[in-house]
Amino acid sequence: MTLWKHELRLLLRGRLSTVALALLAVLSVAALAAGMAEVSRQRAAIAAIPAAQAEDIAAVADYVDRTKDAGSAAYYSFHPTWDAPSPLAFAALGMRDVSPYILRVRALGLEAQIYDGDTFNPELALPGRFDFAFVLVFLAPLFVIALFHDQVSGEREAGRLRTLTALPRGGSGLMRRRTLVRLALLWAVLAVPFTFAAIVSGVGIGAILLILAVIAAYLSFWIGLAALIGRLRWSSVANAATLAACWLVLVLIVPTLAHVAINRAVPVDQGAEIALAQRERVNHAWDIPREETMRRFYANHPRWAASAPLGPEFHYKWYLAFHQNGDESVAGQVRAYRAGLERRDAAARALGWVLPSVGVQALLTRLAATDLTAQLAYQDRIRDFHRRLRDFYYAYLFNDRPFGKEDFARAPVFGR
Amino acid sequence: MTKDTPAPILIDNLVLAYGQHRVLDGLSLQVPAGSITALLGGNGAGKSTTLAALLGFVRAQSGTVLVAGVDPGMDPDAARRRIAYLPENVALYEHLTAAENADYLLALSEERKERRIITDAFAAAGLQERAWDQRLGGFSKGMRQKVAIAVALLREVPVLLLDEPTSGLDPRATVDFNALVAAVRDRGTAVLMVTHDLLSAADVADRIGFLEAGRIVEEVAASGPERFDVRALHARFAVAAERLAA
Amino acid sequence: MSATRLIARDELRLMVRNRVAVIAFTLLVLLTLVAVLSSWAHQRGNAELRARHQHVAEHAFDAQPDRHPHRVVHYGHFIFRPLGRLAAFDPGVDAFTGSSMFLEGHRQNTANFGDVRQSSLLVRFGQLTPAFVLQVVAPLLLIFLGYGALARETERGTMRLLMLQGASRGQVVRGKLLALGGVALLAGLPAMIGFVAIAGQPGALALPMAIIAIGYAAYLALWVVLILLVSASVRRSRDALLALVALWAVAVVLLPRVAPDLASAAVPLQNRLQTDVAIARDLRRMGDSHNPDDPHFAAFKQSVLKRYGVKQVEDLPVNYKGLLALEGERLTSELFDRYAGKSYAAQDRQNALVEGVGVLSPAIALRSLSMAAAGTDFAGHRRFLEQAEAYRYALVQRLNRMQAEAVSYSDDTATDADADRRKRVAADNWGQMPDFTYRAPSGAALAAGALPGLVIVLGWLAVAGLLLVRASRRLGERR
Repeated sequence: MTLWKHELRLLLRGRLSTVALALLAVLSVAALAAGMAEVSRQRAAIAAIPAAQAEDIAAVADYVDRTKDAGSAAYYSFHPTWDAPSPLAFAALGMRDVSPYILRVRALGLEAQIYDGDTFNPELALPGRFDFAFVLVFLAPLFVIALFHDQVSGEREAGRLRTLTALPRGGSGLMRRRTLVRLALLWAVLAVPFTFAAIVSGVGIGAILLILAVIAAYLSFWIGLAALIGRLRWSSVANAATLAACWLVLVLIVPTLAHVAINRAVPVDQGAEIALAQRERVNHAWDIPREETMRRFYANHPRWAASAPLGPEFHYKWYLAFHQNGDESVAGQVRAYRAGLERRDAAARALGWVLPSVGVQALLTRLAATDLTAQLAYQDRIRDFHRRLRDFYYAYLFNDRPFGKEDFARAPVFGR
Repeated sequence: MTKDTPAPILIDNLVLAYGQHRVLDGLSLQVPAGSITALLGGNGAGKSTTLAALLGFVRAQSGTVLVAGVDPGMDPDAARRRIAYLPENVALYEHLTAAENADYLLALSEERKERRIITDAFAAAGLQERAWDQRLGGFSKGMRQKVAIAVALLREVPVLLLDEPTSGLDPRATVDFNALVAAVRDRGTAVLMVTHDLLSAADVADRIGFLEAGRIVEEVAASGPERFDVRALHARFAVAAERLAA
Repeated sequence: MSATRLIARDELRLMVRNRVAVIAFTLLVLLTLVAVLSSWAHQRGNAELRARHQHVAEHAFDAQPDRHPHRVVHYGHFIFRPLGRLAAFDPGVDAFTGSSMFLEGHRQNTANFGDVRQSSLLVRFGQLTPAFVLQVVAPLLLIFLGYGALARETERGTMRLLMLQGASRGQVVRGKLLALGGVALLAGLPAMIGFVAIAGQPGALALPMAIIAIGYAAYLALWVVLILLVSASVRRSRDALLALVALWAVAVVLLPRVAPDLASAAVPLQNRLQTDVAIARDLRRMGDSHNPDDPHFAAFKQSVLKRYGVKQVEDLPVNYKGLLALEGERLTSELFDRYAGKSYAAQDRQNALVEGVGVLSPAIALRSLSMAAAGTDFAGHRRFLEQAEAYRYALVQRLNRMQAEAVSYSDDTATDADADRRKRVAADNWGQMPDFTYRAPSGAALAAGALPGLVIVLGWLAVAGLLLVRASRRLGERR
């Protein structure tokens, strides 16, 4: 035990190591604070939805109540959906700064609504967020390099290596102790603030333990790399330069190269094409007999087929039917688009198995539900909700039931 | 320790080669308890390799090495537990104080001493009291060596190995250092020093071995008919060095 | 040969003999080539794709059958942000902003289908572009090659030896500057050649291209000076390396991430939901065209009747519904402009804050310079959004006017079986609607946007140069 205490004292007396550890502690606390602040901003924005929504819907209800037309209600009512941040989101904000976490939809064609974004400043999003994942994936390896690049070579250059190895407990055991002490300290300055923040944020114990293990594993990877370079018996300077170059390649260059390669290998151009095609199909309905539209709609949705035939006047059930027809006509393209996105995501994840930097980032954003998968899951929830919205309004429209003020309160609510 | 027990440093017919090159070629050497042997020899004569073999850094092809009865080739840790070693350039931790350095090195030797005992050793090694709790950053080589020898004294091991201990020391410090080594010897420790410094060797050693091409070519004792004659030794040493250079 | 050039030659020889240095330099050149090629292909592919989509959208618009003008208002138009040639050098925020926009009446839609939402998580690790290589990777290479330039001489005591042989401190430092500066030039050259090749005929873009070239040259020169400054100020080369890598990590990696977080915390943006609700609220206050008793529209109706000297809307020579649509669109667009203006102003404030941090990090300053000159910064995106909104408004109002003039009020309000046919306007009208053409900013405008960043980078260079002069005066004094 006393040997460990000695190593600790020796390390903490060094200026470089204390400054490095203190700096990493400051950075991880700052990143956690920034992440928690961002998540609480997002929570506040979600919490502010009902008030704004109530005001908006009240005005629509006032207007619609004059005609009691369910179609107007469907046309003018925007229904909010939201993707609440998971408890762990503060640690890895992932795509939450560029993908919307609040989206209002109407019972009209969903494909023209679901890809909309929220307001964000692209210049702020460009460099990426300063969150815990960034400190761990990008910065922590630099601290490993600072603390480990001269573990053996430094002793050799100082002329102490002989003295130490001539001591009974001064050989490889000593280096193992030093490695463990440094690893433990680096781990602690990342893990302790993280655990505190995670407990405050209500993260489950399983996820906390998993991430604590990931931190240790990721640090160990870099320490192992430093040990490997150290084996070449180069000078401390050469070790530091080599390790920094490794960092550059593993953390910056290979991921950016892989990004280019993946986007090249899996082209996803269909996004804009879906929007163009859907618009064409929807608007085409104005130029063909309305019965044709209804026939097609009823064929896919026989439960509404018993509805009264269309009269000469405009009827919203026709309007909503051709919107839904438009959505359904691009379903194949939508699936292909989504599959393309998923393939890109899967390819990046596969890279994560061999590239720890990418692997850790992927794992953290997955656990925090802030990655593309989570974004697509949110879209799925929007689609489910949108289905319920359609069913809700169709029940009035296709049965010609009046839609009064009190019916607005019966509309489906997202997440319930 | 009595005269009957085997010598704490015992090397017999040691052969050690790196590839084709035999660095030690049938080296035999015994350093009894309570005595100092100096090994003199030119560059490449095998002095450092001899120390490395005793410390278990290198393993011999054939022959015997025993440190207080332990084969360092088989069990280096056990051998090192019985050895105090002073390298040529004593380098300690600059950002620790003298006392902390002693504390740390003792811990790595699996020993723990109270502060009073450590400071006694410092005093015995001639380190002034005001230096005990100073960081080593500003110490001279002599002062560093005093810290190291104090640690060696504290370890109470049967074997002390010294590698060029007096190179770079001023004459006054050399005299002080030799007195300390003599004091360690008088406690019953077997001391082996390898050195270029004939004067210093003659001053403190009980026996001097001349190492050449990996074996002892001549041995002289401090007592008896072969008393040290510095002038003769110097001539002898110079010839050996010349032969080696050629 | 002068002492300065001798020292430079010596330093270069040392670098050439250092195998790691040569490999690193070769890798940088290869990386630049890959970046230039892939970035160029990406830019060209995207520009072509967008042009194709634009063409499809325009064709679809023109090919509409006979339609009621208000149908066309809702049929809307798709426009695609064209991608300038300089975007191949520095795509800036292009991946983060949507490239396609749907324009329709009474609604302002977002630009959608940006790369960032269509890519794997790797997109957040950075994008491999010539700008990225020069901003991020090249300084690190220079650090590896130059950290020891002076520290090594001090550490080994050869600094005094050089001085004993008659070289002045200034000559030594200038020699090292020459050597490392030459390497920096070589490192930057492939990217610059690629840049010129990509941008093709400079023409109107000569000025922003020159600013980019000067900016990156100053940036790399700044790193050369900083490296020698640190190398002159520390005693051991290892300390120089660690200090420089730390400096690089803070300036190039850390601050560019921290600054946006500070900016977004300091200046919050209103999200779309709140904006939409606020616009709807303001619209109800200004005038609700749905409400027959609305004072604004009642007054509007009176003024129209008065202007035409008639008693009721049925007697108007024009279609009152069209006039109503014109007035409604005018009101909503006014609000759109006001709210968009507020949001742009907030984003400008955020970007100004980040640029302020650029005083601490030359990498941030260079990045803004580079994006501004390439026209791929927020201002460039805003330019597109504003032109898109202006086009949207003009198009919708043109259609509304068409409704007022080409569709009679009686037809427009009729519900008989043939009414639908009578309401429609001939298909040949759609082809006569002007297409959206993005007006690219002038080279001078781009260059002006890049000036603040250039000033900061040059300021850094001047300060670092002065500090180097001061630090080199003490070279060789201590060991």
